[in-house]
Amino acid sequence: MATESSESEEEGKIRGGNDKLIVDDDLREMGKNAAWSVSSCKPGNGVNTLRDENLETYWQSDGLQPHLINIQFQKKVRLQLVALYVDFKLDESYTPSKISVRAGDGFHNLKEVKSVELVKPSGWVSISLSGADPRETFVNTFMLQIAMLSNHLNGRDTHIRQIKVYGPRPNPIPRQPFQFTSTEFITYSTLR
Amino acid sequence: METSKANLFWFLLMLIFGFVQNPERQRFIRLGDLARSPREKARLLKFPLAARDLLLRDNLTHIHPSFFFFCSPKATAPSLLVQFRRQNMETLLANCVEKNLTQFMFSNAIFLCERLLAQFPSEVNLQLLARCYLSNSQPYSAYYILKGSKTPESRYLFAFSCFKLDLLGEAESALLSTEQVPGGAAGHYLLGLIYRYAGRKNSSIQQFRMALSCDPLCWEAYAELCSLGAAGDASVVFGNVAAQRLQKTNVSQRINFSEGESRDQLIDSDKASKDTSVWQTEHVSGENQQDLKVKQLGAEILPDSDKQCNGSSHTNGWDLKTPSPVLTQVLDAPPPMLYKNMRRPEVEGLMYVHGESRRKFVSEEESSEAPEESGRRRSARIAARRKIPLFHSYGKDSHVLHHSPSESNGVPSLSSMIGKCRIQSSKEATTSGQSIGDTGSSVDDEQNSNPRGSSPNPFSLMSGISEVLNLLKILGDGHRHLLMYNCQEALLVYQKLSEKQYNTHWVLMQVGKAYVELQDYFNADSVFTLAHQKSPYALEGMDTYSTHLKEEMRLGYLAQELIAVDRLSPESWCASGNYYSLRKDHEAALKMFRRAIQLNDRFTYAHTLCGHELAALEDFEEAEKCYRKALSIDTRHYNAWYGLGMTYLHQEKFEFAQHQFQVALQINPRSSVIMCYFGIALHESKRNDEALKMMEKAIVADARNPLSKYFKANILADLGDYHRALEVLEELKDSAPHESSVHALLGKIYKQVKLYDKAVLNFGSALDLNPSPSDTVKIKACMERLTVPNELETEEDL
Repeated sequence: MATESSESEEEGKIRGGNDKLIVDDDLREMGKNAAWSVSSCKPGNGVNTLRDENLETYWQSDGLQPHLINIQFQKKVRLQLVALYVDFKLDESYTPSKISVRAGDGFHNLKEVKSVELVKPSGWVSISLSGADPRETFVNTFMLQIAMLSNHLNGRDTHIRQIKVYGPRPNPIPRQPFQFTSTEFITYSTLR
Repeated sequence: METSKANLFWFLLMLIFGFVQNPERQRFIRLGDLARSPREKARLLKFPLAARDLLLRDNLTHIHPSFFFFCSPKATAPSLLVQFRRQNMETLLANCVEKNLTQFMFSNAIFLCERLLAQFPSEVNLQLLARCYLSNSQPYSAYYILKGSKTPESRYLFAFSCFKLDLLGEAESALLSTEQVPGGAAGHYLLGLIYRYAGRKNSSIQQFRMALSCDPLCWEAYAELCSLGAAGDASVVFGNVAAQRLQKTNVSQRINFSEGESRDQLIDSDKASKDTSVWQTEHVSGENQQDLKVKQLGAEILPDSDKQCNGSSHTNGWDLKTPSPVLTQVLDAPPPMLYKNMRRPEVEGLMYVHGESRRKFVSEEESSEAPEESGRRRSARIAARRKIPLFHSYGKDSHVLHHSPSESNGVPSLSSMIGKCRIQSSKEATTSGQSIGDTGSSVDDEQNSNPRGSSPNPFSLMSGISEVLNLLKILGDGHRHLLMYNCQEALLVYQKLSEKQYNTHWVLMQVGKAYVELQDYFNADSVFTLAHQKSPYALEGMDTYSTHLKEEMRLGYLAQELIAVDRLSPESWCASGNYYSLRKDHEAALKMFRRAIQLNDRFTYAHTLCGHELAALEDFEEAEKCYRKALSIDTRHYNAWYGLGMTYLHQEKFEFAQHQFQVALQINPRSSVIMCYFGIALHESKRNDEALKMMEKAIVADARNPLSKYFKANILADLGDYHRALEVLEELKDSAPHESSVHALLGKIYKQVKLYDKAVLNFGSALDLNPSPSDTVKIKACMERLTVPNELETEEDL
């Protein structure tokens, strides 16, 4: 069951972007355990380009808007952050403008979690999935869908160069309710 | 008349025979010319066979087994017809090759040796070539040329090449094809390693033990036994039996020491007698090992520096050439050899008195790294030799040998040339020996040095031996304790060392590891930093250091330093891997550890660290594989057992986890961390009583470990025993006030017992202490739903 924030229509404008992706230490990339798929693609610019760690290659959609990227996990995971690499200077009318992030159990019950508008981004753009409530830091879900609703300059298709999805690190000590914070506890918690 | 006719007949026969064989080699020598003094001449006339040794002295002759002497009718100057070889191509090349080997000019040595072997194919030359190849890291070449050789030294070298090429089966069969393993202690050690690599633990233990009994100074064998967990008590292994063994093997060396020293005394005192003393030492070197014992008798008398005595002692020695009791005693104690330095193995009982043996002397002398300066104190020498392999007994001979050509007057030109060659090489050998094992004395010109101290006696030898063995006892004891994880004992033992020995890299590494095992990371850090400062080139043990250094900056710097020192050592890559791991970049860390494994597949710790990284990346299957690989190399590597246990815990396979932790605990019974996790595994398998007992054990084992109490409280809370849990936690809160999980757990339990205000208080303090985001969520959720009992909460919350 997806936790949706009550203000699901909240809009945020994001300008610019970072060259380097800077993420908190307590987050880890979750994309490896997921199945990635896209609504459409041009041959040669398929879904692999989204995960190849190469910012030169990009995914180009080839159909009707909205263009969708689907990320499906085998079990419910907590997600906190989505990071996209898009560049207006290189892609111009292919750069996405309105993006909606949806979560749910599958294609049938996705609900929007976050909606942002990008203004001439160039670099990494981070979309936080947390709600205002501290209890809603994470989105606990089976599936995430990133929908490109419209592009800059009313372009039809979109280019995305790279995507990363982040969630919290699990407790390194199995079967424990809380994680350790002080160095003393941490030193005694493992043997290397 | 008849005799002269008979002689004539034989002479003609020899002539023909000799010419057919090798015209240039024949030569007539007048016995009278051989003698350098009237006394010698008289002696020669009396004992014509003595001429053989005079020829040896001249370094010119290879004596053909059959020689005939031809007496002139007047019997004034009996002449000797011998088949001899002058200092020819073979020995020249061999000397040169040996010299190149000592000077690390391997390609030159190989080239010359190949010429030598082509011209004079023989077993000895083949061995020399194999040695050249092995020195030049070409075990495959050595393997091919030595294939099928039967002599002991060849078999040893062949087995070594097979070992280097990872052909363990062939190596084993080469070493086992006869009853006695060739190479003595080194052969047993090699065989032990082969068995160990093949996983045949008991056989390897047996072999290492035999190696130690052959040569008590074969420390590596003892270290291997320790790591296999089968080491005997150090005081027994390096005890009286070892002392006796060492004494036996060193006795022959001692004799030559004495000869050398006494000879020096002679030189100083009496130039005229130089010839005779030289003659005697030549004689010694030319003789079989069997005769060395005999020389002892001669040696004792020598210091008197009495010409008459010398003469008589020579004769005595000569006459008593092969007394049988001496023979057995000496054959009982073959001089040991450490294969690591690729010595020429001793030909046991197959001594040639001919060119081969001469080459052997030269080789031993030149390849010997032991300080052979006769002027030094013997105990210092022996102590120094602890770090240097025990040299061949002939080393003494050759050392002594080289003096003679330079010192005697009227030396024929050829011999002086060879002598000079040897002097230079022996000078190099001794200087290298000095740099390695010097305990303080530096001698420019060993020939002119005066013997320090008194003339040799058995007591200085014994004291040297006992000093070495005492040192080894301490080190052995400490090492064994460390590998049995009795760290406190190990530390105490190492404290007994002298300061000089303690501050060596190896010992400091041991001490550091002991502290690490005790989880006293602060002390470990100081010891490791000291060790690293002292010897920044020494990489052994740096992997352990890097694992426990938790400061990013320092660790990064260390990793860079180590890679700069040696890019091809697995320890440096382990250090960089640990750096990335500290920064939680597990992918990069994994890459580094994989590189370390590529460099040395048998580096157990790299496999374990790989496993840890994979576990952190939650790839448990791969992690398991890595851990099992580590365990296949070293079954006693308890970190790998622990790692396996943790992966099973993560995968919720609690039964398996228990088993792994149990084995780990058997190996290292004092680790409170292992006990804690064992307890958790037991608890999850519902064996709660045992779990609690295990936690108690953990608390007792290491009072500083707060986790044992924490886990205990957790178990108690799970079991519903809230009051005891609260007691434990309150105690823990006092000793560790900054740990948010303690407060959080307290809060949770208070909530359970409906002491809501206390619960809120604790939750608040938990939040103040900066828990992780997921914990923050949990705690806040708990606070909000204070009145709702825990069971009704959704899975996201507690």
